[in-house]
Amino acid sequence: MTLTDTRSTSDNPAATAGPPVPTALERVMGTGEHQAIGRTFILSSLLLMAVSAGALAVGGLTALGSSGPLDVSDPLWSSALVAMVLIGALPLLLGLAICLVPMQVGSEAIAFPRAAALSLWAWLISAAIFIISVPLDGGVGGAKLEAARLGMLSMGAMMIALSLGAACVATTVLSHRPVGMSLSKVPFFSWSMLVAAPIWILTFGSTVAHVFLGQISQANAAGLALRYSAGVSWFLRAPAVYMLAIPVLGICCDLVAQACGRRFARYGTVQALIAMYGVFSFGAWSQTAGGRENILWIAFVALAAVPVLGLLGLVADTLRHQKPVVTPGLIGVLFAFLLLLGGLLSGVLEALNTTGSSTLFSFEAAGLGWAQGVFLLSAAFVGGLAALSAWSRVVLRASAPNAIAGASMTAGLIGGGLLGTVFLIQGITGFGLNRSFFNVWVAAAASLLALGALLGLMMALVTSRGNSAEPAESGSAGLTLEWAATELSAQDHAVLLRTIVASPYPLLDFRSTGEAVEEDN
Amino acid sequence: MSDTATMSPPEVTSPPESPEAAVTTTAAMPPTMPRRRELIFGTVFVTAGVAMGLLTLIGNYLATRDAAGTAWLADNQIALTQPNMQMLTMVMSVVTMQWAVWSISRDDRYHTYLALGVTMLLGIAFVNQSTFLFKEAGIAITQPEGPLFYAVTIGHLAMVVAGLIFLLLMAFRTLGGQYSSRQPDGIGAAAVFWYAGVALYAVIWFAVYIQK
Repeated sequence: MTLTDTRSTSDNPAATAGPPVPTALERVMGTGEHQAIGRTFILSSLLLMAVSAGALAVGGLTALGSSGPLDVSDPLWSSALVAMVLIGALPLLLGLAICLVPMQVGSEAIAFPRAAALSLWAWLISAAIFIISVPLDGGVGGAKLEAARLGMLSMGAMMIALSLGAACVATTVLSHRPVGMSLSKVPFFSWSMLVAAPIWILTFGSTVAHVFLGQISQANAAGLALRYSAGVSWFLRAPAVYMLAIPVLGICCDLVAQACGRRFARYGTVQALIAMYGVFSFGAWSQTAGGRENILWIAFVALAAVPVLGLLGLVADTLRHQKPVVTPGLIGVLFAFLLLLGGLLSGVLEALNTTGSSTLFSFEAAGLGWAQGVFLLSAAFVGGLAALSAWSRVVLRASAPNAIAGASMTAGLIGGGLLGTVFLIQGITGFGLNRSFFNVWVAAAASLLALGALLGLMMALVTSRGNSAEPAESGSAGLTLEWAATELSAQDHAVLLRTIVASPYPLLDFRSTGEAVEEDN
Repeated sequence: MSDTATMSPPEVTSPPESPEAAVTTTAAMPPTMPRRRELIFGTVFVTAGVAMGLLTLIGNYLATRDAAGTAWLADNQIALTQPNMQMLTMVMSVVTMQWAVWSISRDDRYHTYLALGVTMLLGIAFVNQSTFLFKEAGIAITQPEGPLFYAVTIGHLAMVVAGLIFLLLMAFRTLGGQYSSRQPDGIGAAAVFWYAGVALYAVIWFAVYIQK
């Protein structure tokens, strides 16, 4: 008998089972999907922000109890500030941007998704290394050479990773827009990220050069500390530190328009003001000590307040014309504006100090510099929390519980405000506060910041697990494209995708026309 | 990375001004904008960061040299022949790189390959010249000028090597048929990066070698 049958495919388990299903870990680590990348950025940054602020609080209290008060020359302060900016506030905003910007401009994907994923993992690994280096007496300005090198290298790697992510976001805005959405019709948050990305990239390009120089010169620990203070720390002072808050301006304008359910009257003016603020936040040219003692520096630092005040006026005008639906996100972002104004005030005071040094004013520039950094990072952090709360249905796929969102923003606001205020007072009084009192104040404020981050993390986790008990806010309907998938029926969404964007608020247009015209087949 | 740039934009009507009439529809396909220039925009951002880093290093070099005065590189001789030849090589590579851009936009694939090949050859020659210059100059990393000199020059050399790798990748993708007159972005992006490298070398040539 001749065997003519072929082997049944059912005999081969591999053939019937299909391709292996990736595990949850493999899905997270291998994804190029912008929402997953953005969410991982957000959750990680909130956790690490809590760790960074908590370390500052613990360090302050420990020093108070053992070896005497901690002063601002301690490397822990610098490391904590760098960590709160590069590990907390900035990645939070970048994560939101990676998640939201493609949807705001009507794109299914972010530009260069693999580069965005590389940005996430490079940042996360570098952040972990940086945090590990701090207790080993490294970080920035540490005394132990190997740990200090590790700290500087990981800081540089974080900057490169964040720049890469920002480049992906900005490229998405430039090249993924739908027909009809010219740059003058891009939503404010996307616009602000388009303004922020080049500033971040140029600033970090310059600071990374100093990190490279520190490594190639084989400097000792003291040399690395000097390299940080002379070549890198300028990005935490005005005007460069203003760049942290550029996206907050966009978030604020988008949330106000959404809460009021109406258009901004002078859209182009708002965009121009955000761009103007971005220009004034470019500070790589002022990295030397001499660069901070000239009229150009004074002009940059002081004039940055002009676009912010202009935006505040336009926001107030919009709120005056239409009573807004009050949400924690709206309140949070308006208070973030207050923190931003605190940072600008510190900058203006330092500018006044420069113009009238030893004659009119005798402020302590170091204290004012610290105040600028703390106020701006707090504004970015609280603005990020507000955005996370307001866009939770888009980012986390459920409405964030108002109580947790409100608590997290309140803690962040009070913590950041107190921390900035204490440095502002120290700057004005020439470090005149009692050191013990000062350290207790700082420890309490840093604890509140850490609590804000933890509550923000809790809000994100609770919301993303779908355990939110509270319904979606009524009346605060989205106006821009990122809300299309959550607020429109599948049929309307499909129709919307075939329409031409004719204004910055496509969903508002869609609602105001009643019925969209179906395409003719 | 999506390569939808070959899709021409759909016919659209002019968007109306009033919100009531704001929603109009297309006649044929979903009105997604062709993703032209995605790679070019991305490359511009990366190039800006790299250029900023190198300019910062050059600025540091100049400030330190200014502070050191006549003692700067007093024990070393850097003949100008080599840097001048390197500058000439880079200028020639700009011409050949533009030749590649011009050729791909006219679907002249033969000349595209030829131009990319010559550009890479000039780039490799530049790398070779640089190593020769380092040997001739004899600047030790341990001497005060060493770290800054090598940070600037090796930093730029790394950029040129990265540009060569970029060119090689784009040449392979052109060979695979991905780039043509309808989608020339890859070659254009490589050209942007290469031109920035040449411009930065012009700054280094003048600031580091000519002015010494």
